[in-house]
Amino acid sequence: MTARTFTNIAAAAGIAGLALTWSGVAQAQEFGSPELIAAAKAEGKLVFYTANFAEVEQQVIKAFNKRFPEIKVEMVRAPGGQLITRVKTEAAAGKLIADVVDHSDRALMQPLADMFQDYAPPNAADYSPESQIAPQLWPRVTLVWSIAYNTELVKNPPKTWKDLTKPEYKKLTGQVIAPSGGTTWTRVMFERQVLGEDYWAKQAATSPVLYPSGAPMSDSLVRGEIAMGPLLYNAIYPKQKDGAPIQIFFPPEGAPVNPYATGIPKTAAHPNAAKLFLNWCLSKEGQTFMIKELGNLTSLKVPPAFPEGFDPKVVKVWFPKFDEYVKLQAAWIADWNKTYGYAQ
Amino acid sequence: MNGQLSRRSEVLRSASEGQRAWSGLWVTLLLAILGFLVIYPVLMLLLGALTDTNPVVEGISLSRLSVTNFLTVLANPNVAEALANTLIACGGGTLIAVAIGLLFSWIVVRTNTPFKGFIAAASILPLFAPPLVAGVAWAILGSPKTGLINTMFKWMGMDWRVDFYSMWGLVFVFGIYYAPYVYMFTASALRNMDPSLEEAAEISGASALATLFTVTFPLIMPAIVSGMLLSFIVMLGIYGIPAVLGAPTNLAVLTTYIFKLTNWSPPLYNTAAAVAIILMVVTSLLVFLQQKVLSGRSYTTVAGKAFRPRSLDLGRWRWFTFGLGIVYLLVVVVLPLLALIVAAFRKFMFIRDVASLFDVRQYSLMHFYSIFDNPLTLRSIYNAVEVGLITAVVGGALAFAIGYTIHRTQVTGRRWIDVISTLPVAIPGLVVGVAYLWAWIGVPGGLYGTIWILALAFIARFMPDTVKSLSTSFMQIHRELEEAAWVCGKGVFGTIRTIVLPLARPGVIASMTLLFVLAIRELGSSLFLYTSNTMVMSVLLLDYYEGGNLGKTAAFSLVQTVLLGVLIGGANWLSRGAAQGSVARTG
Repeated sequence: MTARTFTNIAAAAGIAGLALTWSGVAQAQEFGSPELIAAAKAEGKLVFYTANFAEVEQQVIKAFNKRFPEIKVEMVRAPGGQLITRVKTEAAAGKLIADVVDHSDRALMQPLADMFQDYAPPNAADYSPESQIAPQLWPRVTLVWSIAYNTELVKNPPKTWKDLTKPEYKKLTGQVIAPSGGTTWTRVMFERQVLGEDYWAKQAATSPVLYPSGAPMSDSLVRGEIAMGPLLYNAIYPKQKDGAPIQIFFPPEGAPVNPYATGIPKTAAHPNAAKLFLNWCLSKEGQTFMIKELGNLTSLKVPPAFPEGFDPKVVKVWFPKFDEYVKLQAAWIADWNKTYGYAQ
Repeated sequence: MNGQLSRRSEVLRSASEGQRAWSGLWVTLLLAILGFLVIYPVLMLLLGALTDTNPVVEGISLSRLSVTNFLTVLANPNVAEALANTLIACGGGTLIAVAIGLLFSWIVVRTNTPFKGFIAAASILPLFAPPLVAGVAWAILGSPKTGLINTMFKWMGMDWRVDFYSMWGLVFVFGIYYAPYVYMFTASALRNMDPSLEEAAEISGASALATLFTVTFPLIMPAIVSGMLLSFIVMLGIYGIPAVLGAPTNLAVLTTYIFKLTNWSPPLYNTAAAVAIILMVVTSLLVFLQQKVLSGRSYTTVAGKAFRPRSLDLGRWRWFTFGLGIVYLLVVVVLPLLALIVAAFRKFMFIRDVASLFDVRQYSLMHFYSIFDNPLTLRSIYNAVEVGLITAVVGGALAFAIGYTIHRTQVTGRRWIDVISTLPVAIPGLVVGVAYLWAWIGVPGGLYGTIWILALAFIARFMPDTVKSLSTSFMQIHRELEEAAWVCGKGVFGTIRTIVLPLARPGVIASMTLLFVLAIRELGSSLFLYTSNTMVMSVLLLDYYEGGNLGKTAAFSLVQTVLLGVLIGGANWLSRGAAQGSVARTG
């Protein structure tokens, strides 16, 4: 071996070694400082309240554990309205044991922002500021609506939002109730503002089966109890991926998008584990995982990827104006309840 | 008998003043415990129904008491609809339960049907299925669009279709699962009947059927009526079955309505309290009726009978009645179990046709992996067992103390203890849960959110059953044995420790294991009292169901069924083993 070759090899090895440590350092900084990681591992677990679907979040937890296997995540899941109730009740009784609270309705979370501690992920600057409603709350999950149908049951499938009002689909449709949480409120707001004031009444005329949240509705769609309906993409995409007889599409009138609000309560018993978990979820790695495997979107300014079947050049995403999102909620949801006959 | 009584009261009268003070203290202690367990929550419930303050945000306040909240609730048409649905469902279910229970008790006790023991066991089995599990299984079987029964009918080329998401479905499932209550009453009555009246009818020329309807059934009418009322009362408080079968068509009964109110956003606790009071009133009326029917009759059956019940020879028909028993077993046990197995192991519940049902590629263990991946699953099982143990031990001890005080002492105030400890009979499980929620939610740092609030609610809820069953166990011990100890100078506690407990041990253990199993199964009262930390098995099953994945729900239902089966079998074995070792038991 000549001296030249040796120097080349040594240089290459040196650079490679440097690159490795540098990426190691960069990686460590990507998810948090070494002290944070060590403290999180010492805590060993965290309690995670979420309004997102249990199956979906279990996959997220699995991916997180691939990176940090020493931290166990206990998930408690409830649909949006119930989750807020549970959080408020437990907080009032001094028994809020959640370390991370992940909720779909930013309007309901905003008044509670004081309950959460100051927090920012390492890549805080990469997030679009409109998606954040308070400095303590971050859009860990961003979901988009689509329409899905059971290919075994439907021979002339719908192609637009307006199609869901067709009389020939009577008794074949399903809907998730508006008061379920932030994502459904976004959808009904879109329906009334973009599709017309009479959309609800026409859709309600098809006698849809009403579901308390997207998970039972997507299960029913697969089972064949209903044949079609609007669903969050991440509620139905995993089932299609696994082989269920489902077809999903993004209608041309628009796809409503809803960012979540996630925070760490001041009373968290495992704050470091919580921070590490949120850091990972909000990082490029975490967001890419959720996009590719689960069908989420993201609130990063520059999305690292798009879910399969979602063409950013074609799909028209629709974001509600936040002040309207807050102001119109109570009255419009009451109207929706009346139109669809969902009373208490 | 009289002589013994007067001797006994002499012994008591000669007790010192100190003993009198102790017994007064004892009664006060028991009354205080009962007040805390039963009266306080019910009073808080009443308060909640009469105010409109939110207990979580504003705390409990007496300032805004008014009847308007209650009257608004009464005038709400949805409440009236839920009440009507409840009465129809429970009434219809009771009719079916009586028909089935009476038929099988007659078959088992009064005919020469072969393999009677097997039919007797089949008649009691449905009692052990948790109502939610039963509901889920029948949803899988009887859904109008995708149920397994309709899939079968389509394959067989028949035009029939069933729809269990309806009042009929609810009535049917109620009927078959609560027939055992009627069965137990009527079987016992048939067993203790004096056959001479039937023989007289037969001698006078009446046919077997005529005797049945004009002599036998009228004679056991009190048992039929009691069984009927009991099953109606139990059905009133069930949440699981109407939650699953009624949800797709928005068919609400009072229990599901109350639950929906507390899950509204924001939750309507006051309305829920008011509706709970309505449910309690309906239940109390029926309990009152039941007491009237049973008044004058003793609960304990007389041992050492002077006659044997007549057994009717059915000839060839006995195979028909045996067939009926098999059909019942199939419908109530085998079919739902098969449905759960199919749903638990199938990857997707979309079943195109019967051929697809047997396609092995459609099955996998993925649901089981998924539920055990969630650390909450094992936690909930552990919590359920922990609560069950606390309830069994603390509740058992308390019930023994209460039972002994009521039946074996002459202290003043035991009448009150009797009444208060029987009160929870009139309070459906769900209402107990709401009452405890009201009693503790406004008290920061209090019991809310601990495992103890669950245990206390269960102890209160099952108090009447436990007191009765524990009392039976030591009431069968002749008083002479205790009195012998007294005469020899042992105090009350010493007598209990050395005489009563050892003799009553099998019965005590049996009662405590029954309490344990009831506590593990309980859903209605846990629904409002659990927090993420204290989630129990039955609530987690409901969570899986509401999360929408039928496969995971079925998988967890199977896990629960197996667990319950093991526990009940173990309990049976434990108490029977203990019973075989027992000594002097005179009637």
